[in-house]
Amino acid sequence: MECNGCEFRPELYYDDQYQIWARREEDGSLTVGMTDISQTVAGKILHVRVRRPGTLRPVGKPVATIESGKWAGPVPNVFDCVIEEANHDVLDDPNLLNIEPYEAWIARVRPSGSVEDALNGMVTGDAAQAGYCERTRREDIHCERGAR
Amino acid sequence: MNETVNTWRLLDTGIRRAAENIALNRVLLEARQQDESPNTLRFLGFEPCALLGFHQSADQELNLDYCKAHNITVQRRITGGGAIYFDTAQLGWELYLHKRDLGTADMSAISRRICEAVARGISTLGITAVFRPRNDIEVDGRKISGTGGAFDGDALMYQGTLLIEFDVEKMLRVLNIPAEKLSGKAIASARERVTNLADLLGCVPSREKVIAAISSALADEFKVQFESGDLNAVEDRLYTAALAEIDHPDWVNMIALPAHDRPVRTAARKFGGGMLRVNIAYDRVQRRLKQVWFSGDVFVSPRRTLVDLEAALRDSLEDKLASVVTDFFQQRSVDMLTLTPDDIVSVIKEALGNAEVAA
Repeated sequence: MECNGCEFRPELYYDDQYQIWARREEDGSLTVGMTDISQTVAGKILHVRVRRPGTLRPVGKPVATIESGKWAGPVPNVFDCVIEEANHDVLDDPNLLNIEPYEAWIARVRPSGSVEDALNGMVTGDAAQAGYCERTRREDIHCERGAR
Repeated sequence: MNETVNTWRLLDTGIRRAAENIALNRVLLEARQQDESPNTLRFLGFEPCALLGFHQSADQELNLDYCKAHNITVQRRITGGGAIYFDTAQLGWELYLHKRDLGTADMSAISRRICEAVARGISTLGITAVFRPRNDIEVDGRKISGTGGAFDGDALMYQGTLLIEFDVEKMLRVLNIPAEKLSGKAIASARERVTNLADLLGCVPSREKVIAAISSALADEFKVQFESGDLNAVEDRLYTAALAEIDHPDWVNMIALPAHDRPVRTAARKFGGGMLRVNIAYDRVQRRLKQVWFSGDVFVSPRRTLVDLEAALRDSLEDKLASVVTDFFQQRSVDMLTLTPDDIVSVIKEALGNAEVAA
């Protein structure tokens, strides 16, 4: 499903600005990535940097940074976590974030508290879809995917 | 109907060490994101330094031996883009804004709006400055202000370097680019790409005059007035911690990539219209042309065509090379005598296939 051409996946969890998505993994970790909205707003992404595995990232300290054009900034983090793994395919080819933002995950992280606590601070399902669509309308965001 | 004119803060932090200036970047952006700071226009100056883009590696971008021998500090910006040389003869300008004051989330549109306003301000000094996509301000095809941005949530910072006077040869020595070979031709070629206010005006304009010109243009663009101010208590507190982090080798060396992953490659070929030489900073990992420089005496009209093509090719994927060049020439009318876009593509491909230039 989509809004203004921006793909939305109801099974994922989102921050309240729909900048990042998170997916629960069977081993108790979370996989995080950028939403279609975020990759569109950022434009062509040229660099991604993920902090080293084992690094503790408190709320507000980014798991990763990106650069597009000459803009640099954080991929926000909304729960305390430890970085377990970066997606090396994305590190080698950051443009993947523009092509397939929901397959091109950025990092696997382990929440410092329980997974439930981490996800409780995020939105999912119908409520997330409503908020996601509202942001695309409010900011007049029309998503475009990058080409390889 | 009376309109209320919003007031934004004007900061002039004078000439400082690079670490102090970058720490202030971090502080002012963070405080703006926390709504602890107002929208702010800041002017700044640097003691001699080489500034890396946020995701760059010093080993790949800089001549570190030269920097060390000449007391040129190496620092890392929080903004993207390429490495630059900065000394007391340039003026830095920066805007710290909340996205809601811009009316768009489109980062390219934000860059354009700010650059076009600053270009109008520079033009009031008696020259004709214009925005050159993606991120430069130029005068007659020659760059006079490079720019870049950083964001944090809903806050953003956009900054630029205005060349009041500029030592091109020193820039070439600091930056690890092919013209580092420093032949007269290489320096002349670099001089064709950049300009500065002193050369254009025939005198060095006062710092105050330049600041007034830029401030006035930005005030007009955003329908605001500026009021001089100082750092507030929150910013003062954040600054101590930010400086401790940034004035440290861990920050400068945060990204350390081997120089051999970003070789410089070159090729030259003689055509009916003259010699065309191309130098390419190549990202071997991403298979991307990081930067391209054309030189030689090939006939091309208008003259700025090759500089514009350099901008179009920046950061392009190697396997997109032909389509970037073809699209570029389809969008404009260019006289190159017998030289064709395919010829240019073939020289670039030849360079990419050649061994790297010795640093």
